[in-house]
Amino acid sequence: MYDFSLLTDETVRAIIIGLILFAVAFVSFVVVALFTLFKTNIYKTRHKEKINLFCDVAYFHEKGKREDQEDSIYISPMDKLEHTGLVAACSDGMGGLLNGEVVSKFVTDSLREHYPYQFDAQADNAAIITDISNQVYEQYHLGAGATLVMVHILDDYMNFYSLGDSNIILIRNNRATLLNQKQNYVTLMIRKLAEGGLDTTDAYKDSRAKGLIDFVGNLNCKVQMTTRPLRLIENDIIIVSSDGVTDSMPLNRIVNHIHFDQNATGIARTIKYGVRSRKNPRQDNYSAVVIKMKRSFI
Amino acid sequence: MIEYYTFKHRGADEEYRDEVFLRLVPNLTVAIFNGSKLDSPKSQALLFSEILSSDEGSKGIDYLNGIFDECLDEESEYLILRVESKGIESIRRGSVCAKIVRYGQISLLPNGYFGLSSDDRIVCATSNFFKYLNDEGILADALVAGTCDDWMNMMVRRISDQTQLKCGNLSAVTLKLNS
Repeated sequence: MYDFSLLTDETVRAIIIGLILFAVAFVSFVVVALFTLFKTNIYKTRHKEKINLFCDVAYFHEKGKREDQEDSIYISPMDKLEHTGLVAACSDGMGGLLNGEVVSKFVTDSLREHYPYQFDAQADNAAIITDISNQVYEQYHLGAGATLVMVHILDDYMNFYSLGDSNIILIRNNRATLLNQKQNYVTLMIRKLAEGGLDTTDAYKDSRAKGLIDFVGNLNCKVQMTTRPLRLIENDIIIVSSDGVTDSMPLNRIVNHIHFDQNATGIARTIKYGVRSRKNPRQDNYSAVVIKMKRSFI
Repeated sequence: MIEYYTFKHRGADEEYRDEVFLRLVPNLTVAIFNGSKLDSPKSQALLFSEILSSDEGSKGIDYLNGIFDECLDEESEYLILRVESKGIESIRRGSVCAKIVRYGQISLLPNGYFGLSSDDRIVCATSNFFKYLNDEGILADALVAGTCDDWMNMMVRRISDQTQLKCGNLSAVTLKLNS
């Protein structure tokens, strides 16, 4: 125990003043902190629509049971999100053709070289992709090819571009939707059968109908793209993936596996292990970029 | 300029119980009749068509709705859309409805007058058509499609992927207002 009676009056006075000053500083800090928190919450509630969304991004890139990695992904620099937005792409070398890994990597490398992209210049961006496709055609003359899916997110809006049958999936309100349409012969057959008033069972019977009608490596390919951007909302999850993901994990299974309080890293990890747990002996390469839209005051 | 595309499919049913009508004068009027709850949908559809193509079909939409209320079976479901110079007037009964794509979002078109801006897109359809689609899919297709028939074909592909178009009558109209 301390014997304070041994202290001089000046020392005791100094200690008391010190304690009072500390108490005043502490109380002031608490008041300022509470006030800031309170005001921030009010601002967030009142101006929810004015606070832009930001992207939480993660990815995985796995070989599966294949010898080569024919998937390739691209994510634009994260330090320029505010000005140029986020560009994320996945390219999948076409099975049955040569040099899949070379072509898919060429596609993503070319996308990187063309960065940054103008958000509202969708036709110009599609022309860049067509140009990349033409370069592949010049080199391989349909002997090699790849699919491509690409999203461009700026603030609360997203444009997407697609060639082939890879996936752009939007998960909103616990429901997964494939945003892009697969460019294969099934699409053409369905159109013909529907116009004739017939059912479309035959379109799905022939496995050759899954063959692509457009892809990177085709001459003057027609890029599927949004002509106007899609509005995103808080907690939207966007998955840009190769078909190796959805072949083993259909859309409804992805939704059942993920939790909505997970961040992008958690979602990517869940999907990756979900595909791996299928233990498919012929598992294709599987890669995806996962983007979760969050709203932040800062 | 207004662009539109109509889709009708029996959906492997024996008879077609819906009807889609278009009237171009004095303004474009789109009407979808759904008789899935009726015992004799053909006669009601004919009546519906007759009223629409008569002189009364060009009158105000509220007036027209009054006539339908008076003449048609209670179980008849329908949607009438009339494109005006700067907007669209709509009225619906039952589960036939229209959805509008605007500024990258999709929403249900309300009854009454609704102002339009260029590049707005509208799909009107029976509930059976919408049953196999979700809003995000309709929205993505609308934003990608260059024309109304492209948009319709994309939605039909989505329905086909789930049902092979063996899901009962499908009736829909896509509309696009070009600037």
